Amino acid sequence: MIGAKKTTRRLASLSLLFFSLLSFAAAQPALHVTSQDYEDYSRVIITFPSDLPFTLERDGSLLLVKIQSRLSFRLRADPVQSRLVKSFNWVKSNDLFIVVIQLQDERFRYDSFRIERKRQLVLDFYDQTGRPAGWTAQSPPPPAPPESEIKEETPATVAAGIPPELSPPPAKGIRTIIIDPGHGGLEVGAKGQFGTLEKDVTLAISRKLKAVIERNLSFNVELTRDKDTDVSLGDRASIANNQRAELFISIHANSSYRRNANGSETFFLSLNASDEEARRLAYLENNSANLDRPIDNESKDEIMMILWDMAQSAYLKQSQRLAEIIQDELNSLLGTKDRGIKQAPFKVLTGVACPAVLVEVAFISNPEEEKGLVREDFQQNVAQAIYRGLVRYIKLMS
Amino acid sequence: MKKKRNITPVQWSLFGLSVVVVLVLAVALFRGEGGEKIKAAAEVSPAESEPEPVPPGEAKTVTLFFLSEEDSLLHSEERKILAGTSIGGEAEQVVEALIRGSEKGFVNPLPPETRLRQLFISKEGVAYVDFSKDIMEKHPSGSSAELGTVYSIVNTLAYNFKPIKKVFILVEGSEKETLGGHINLNQAFVPQFSLNAR
Repeated sequence: MIGAKKTTRRLASLSLLFFSLLSFAAAQPALHVTSQDYEDYSRVIITFPSDLPFTLERDGSLLLVKIQSRLSFRLRADPVQSRLVKSFNWVKSNDLFIVVIQLQDERFRYDSFRIERKRQLVLDFYDQTGRPAGWTAQSPPPPAPPESEIKEETPATVAAGIPPELSPPPAKGIRTIIIDPGHGGLEVGAKGQFGTLEKDVTLAISRKLKAVIERNLSFNVELTRDKDTDVSLGDRASIANNQRAELFISIHANSSYRRNANGSETFFLSLNASDEEARRLAYLENNSANLDRPIDNESKDEIMMILWDMAQSAYLKQSQRLAEIIQDELNSLLGTKDRGIKQAPFKVLTGVACPAVLVEVAFISNPEEEKGLVREDFQQNVAQAIYRGLVRYIKLMS
Repeated sequence: MKKKRNITPVQWSLFGLSVVVVLVLAVALFRGEGGEKIKAAAEVSPAESEPEPVPPGEAKTVTLFFLSEEDSLLHSEERKILAGTSIGGEAEQVVEALIRGSEKGFVNPLPPETRLRQLFISKEGVAYVDFSKDIMEKHPSGSSAELGTVYSIVNTLAYNFKPIKKVFILVEGSEKETLGGHINLNQAFVPQFSLNAR
């Protein structure tokens, strides 16, 4: 049965390959994407092959057009020539074909409307960076602004001999810590026998941790959710990366089949890489210059996946150090059993591009610990312990 | 002049014909080659599956790994299965034994309602293990519990069957992000034998 299945699968994939070779691209329906700049906005037009339901989702400097379709499309994008739009890309997941519009900056505003008769989605992007409209490296310098005390460096002032400082970041010097309260919304996490939900405990602890950090350190602290809502695991990593977070702490409460399981532990990511993946990474590195050229669906998915999975791999050493220090503080402040630091392939950590740990505070499945987890003073102690760990880590690294 | 004009379309059609012929040949060759490869692969896997061959139908001892809450390590228990003609059939029996659970009081890695829907092993040595949705719905969903589930399955399969290098866990035939919000299922797992108790 397995042999037959394998054979069919192989035949299917071979003939698929063959057809894609023969007919090249003609078989797949195409999505056509164009971009054009106007005086104060950039317009992107996506032409669909048929009436397809879609949703728009904004994510940092990305705008995602999530099209509900089991089919993959061929993305026919004209070369991007726009001061606001950087690139078009696409990702395919189970039921979605996602067109990824990458903007030059996350400070943008957009309007969208549909032209039903032409099956077109029109997106107008407006610059919100405060740079004068029409400002690009190539375009001639705009007329000198009326007020001379304009803060941004314009090409005109650069030309006047003032040292160029082309990135005027309003957030300069501000360092960000992301706290990730595990679960949320419909995804309740683990449940205690007295009805305590993991999502509520993680949010309560996260809020306390944010407060104690902000009281004592000059860090900007953001939560991946500050209310009871669903946030996907990928989005949590994106939030951290878009905020250019320096540290990422995910807060969870543990659960097991056994009631007597107890204690706290701190995780960092394990990579789960094999020789084969190492080979593929090497291939990717050698061929990265060709990434602009159209690649077939399968390898593109694979590349996206590898790139995404790679983010945390650059920070494993720091993450381990952070985990050790936080675990040490949890042990001395909390009185829960020391389960040590561990490595595991946590989904939420894979894409985070900074030192990142996941703290499992006590077991919600253990009735004794469940009673603790809902107590204000216990939650406050958890926050205090993690805060102390952060302070020690930041000192160590500075 | 006239002749030349007459010949050109003929040449064209000849050329076109030859292109078609070449394409048809290419199809035939391509298909033929593919077919042979498939046969070869199908013949190879059972041979590889038995490093110490036990004749089909006879009892074969396998080692299952279950999580202990005491030390967070995986502890071994032996079981007998029926030696089969294919590694897939034997691996199915092993996974079903894992679903039946520990006999020494260790943590059962899978909710008892879970059904193994299918199991197949790719040429690259990835075992795709497809469970019913109970594996998610009845799962206690903590990090420890998810780790126990994943590595019981992965370490057990890789330990008993040399050709299995990695394990991909599917639910109701499709890929899931996690079982309950923690461990990443969008990947094939490499066994972590360091989790096995000594």
